[in-house]
Amino acid sequence: MSIRSASAALRLVRLRGAEAMSGSVGWLERVVDRLPDSPVFQFLARHVLVPFWAWRTPVAVAEGGPVMTIAPGDNVQRMMNLVMKLKDPSPIGRAKAALAIAQNVDEIYAGLNNVGTVHFARFVLVGDHLCMFSVYDGDFTNYIRDFIATIGSVFDAVVALIDGGDAVIPTEQNVEAFIDWVHARDLYQVPDLATDLLNQQRDGSATETDIRRLPRALILQLQANPNVSLGSGYRAYPGFSAAQLRHRLEVGW
Amino acid sequence: MGEATIAQRLVEAVRSDFPDHQPGTRPVHTVGIGVSGTFMASEVAGQFCIAAPFRAAQMPVLVRFSNGSGSPVEHDGWSDVRGMATRFLPGDGAAMDMLAMTLPEFFTPNVDAFLQFTKAAMPQSVERESPWRKLIDMLRLELPLPDPEPGETMNGSAGMMAYANRHGFAGEAVFRAGMIGAPVSYARATYHAVHCFIVTGADGVRRPVRFSWQPVSGVRTTDPTAPAIDRYLHEELRARLAQGSAQFMLMMSVGEGGDALNDPTRPWPAKRTRVAMGMLSLAQVVADQLADCERVGFNPCRLLPGIAVSDDPILRARRDAYEYSQRERGATPCPFAGG
Ligand code: HEM
Repeated sequence: MSIRSASAALRLVRLRGAEAMSGSVGWLERVVDRLPDSPVFQFLARHVLVPFWAWRTPVAVAEGGPVMTIAPGDNVQRMMNLVMKLKDPSPIGRAKAALAIAQNVDEIYAGLNNVGTVHFARFVLVGDHLCMFSVYDGDFTNYIRDFIATIGSVFDAVVALIDGGDAVIPTEQNVEAFIDWVHARDLYQVPDLATDLLNQQRDGSATETDIRRLPRALILQLQANPNVSLGSGYRAYPGFSAAQLRHRLEVGW
Repeated sequence: MGEATIAQRLVEAVRSDFPDHQPGTRPVHTVGIGVSGTFMASEVAGQFCIAAPFRAAQMPVLVRFSNGSGSPVEHDGWSDVRGMATRFLPGDGAAMDMLAMTLPEFFTPNVDAFLQFTKAAMPQSVERESPWRKLIDMLRLELPLPDPEPGETMNGSAGMMAYANRHGFAGEAVFRAGMIGAPVSYARATYHAVHCFIVTGADGVRRPVRFSWQPVSGVRTTDPTAPAIDRYLHEELRARLAQGSAQFMLMMSVGEGGDALNDPTRPWPAKRTRVAMGMLSLAQVVADQLADCERVGFNPCRLLPGIAVSDDPILRARRDAYEYSQRERGATPCPFAGG
């Protein structure tokens, strides 16, 4: 879903506001049109409407990572947006995480070179979370498997700092569990098409969709998945794998 | 004969959605402006498509920008789809047209569905939703029905929305069309040719592709909360071209197995290989708008060897529908041999 459609959907009251129609609309309409921006309505929405609708029309937590498709273009330059809660979110805990990465830069870079299918990878601290964002080619489980094989020891140092991380250390001996652990922390990627969000939420029995329900669908999905990737993202050279690019650029590997 | 009947039904269906349609004008995209310029193919364009426009270094083009509505009354500031019809003139009397619009997808996947859709989209009288109804929408965390534009008494929004709710394929286009807004300039919107075409490359490989024009000056829409201005797009374009050119880059996405090759309701993922096919530079507004623009008849199936229509049934039906419409409105037959 484009950010623009999401935000327009969220305005709830569209577009040509009552001010633009002035003269032809009554005071009540003006009040109602401005309501979504009022603190009272926002309070009501947050504390009553959202919990009510989340209870009334529950939306499941959506799975992280890119959706499976058969098209080759969907299997290159895939995003991993790993968001991992730190055990110790204090500046000291965060500094420990920064150090764990800094001390292992050589291992990480060598490991990524060995994996060979990664375009970009970086670590980011956001509030209480350590994030790893990467763009990789091919199957997710293979990516993680290769990664553990080449830099399992670094993973252990990092995972030890994360809430719930102890259960999967040493990662080299808990490969399958670790893959699940990572997958559970990989962000849900909101579909690029707005109506695909409705389709994903639809249970099998429903034959009709109601596009007017999109704002609620989005709100409830964000209630279930607080952190998400908005769409599949921009690519400057879509459709090419890291290996193809290296080959075309003639950089020797 | 059968073809002609479908063409006629399509044109009449389109026309029926605009009760103030004037004979002798286009039944949709009625208000427009013609501009001339040049297209320069990129260095790689010819590798992917051997059609003349992508092999010649530079050639003249005629472009007609339009508002999507079939009403003869110009409402530039209303939320509406915009059109960009381009005729490439690579020389030797050849011509190729590319019709594009600001929606990246179409409402229906086939002709029958389109005929039903136009019925559903027949204008009904509209009023602003009552404040109480809006309040209920808000409490339900749902979109209220869009407000009619000031002075608008009839539109097809509610009918389209109801149709889309019954037919999932229409949802994306209806949703997006509902909030498409108005561009600040015809030169500041992205236009999509929507359908899949089959291009033949220099290597003989045939590839399914979709085209979009991307404005070099960027995309920008008007403030949707401000009062709508009825006439500004033509003047803006004249002023812009008086100061320099307006440019668009032609982007081509290459489809893959699993993509909706024949279904214009499904855009392809942004992850498809994207090739820059060339740059369009618009130079000036055509002097004789009546003869050299309004009377011109574009056709999405007017192609040249090296590019062909896909099996998209909407695209295929448009060939005769546009010809029928152009005969009806007395458009000048295309003076060029192509297609
Ligand atoms: C079944 C589907 C469609 C039908 C029946 C239809 C019908 C028409 C007709 C009858 C005209 C007027 C032609 C004339 O008299 O010159 C027209 C114009 C136009 N249509 Fe369509 N259309 C369809 C789909 C589309 C799609 C998918 C696009 C976008 C890719 C599109 C873009 C345009 C544009 C840009 C114009 C204006 C051309 C100009 O400036 O002369 N149409 N359409």
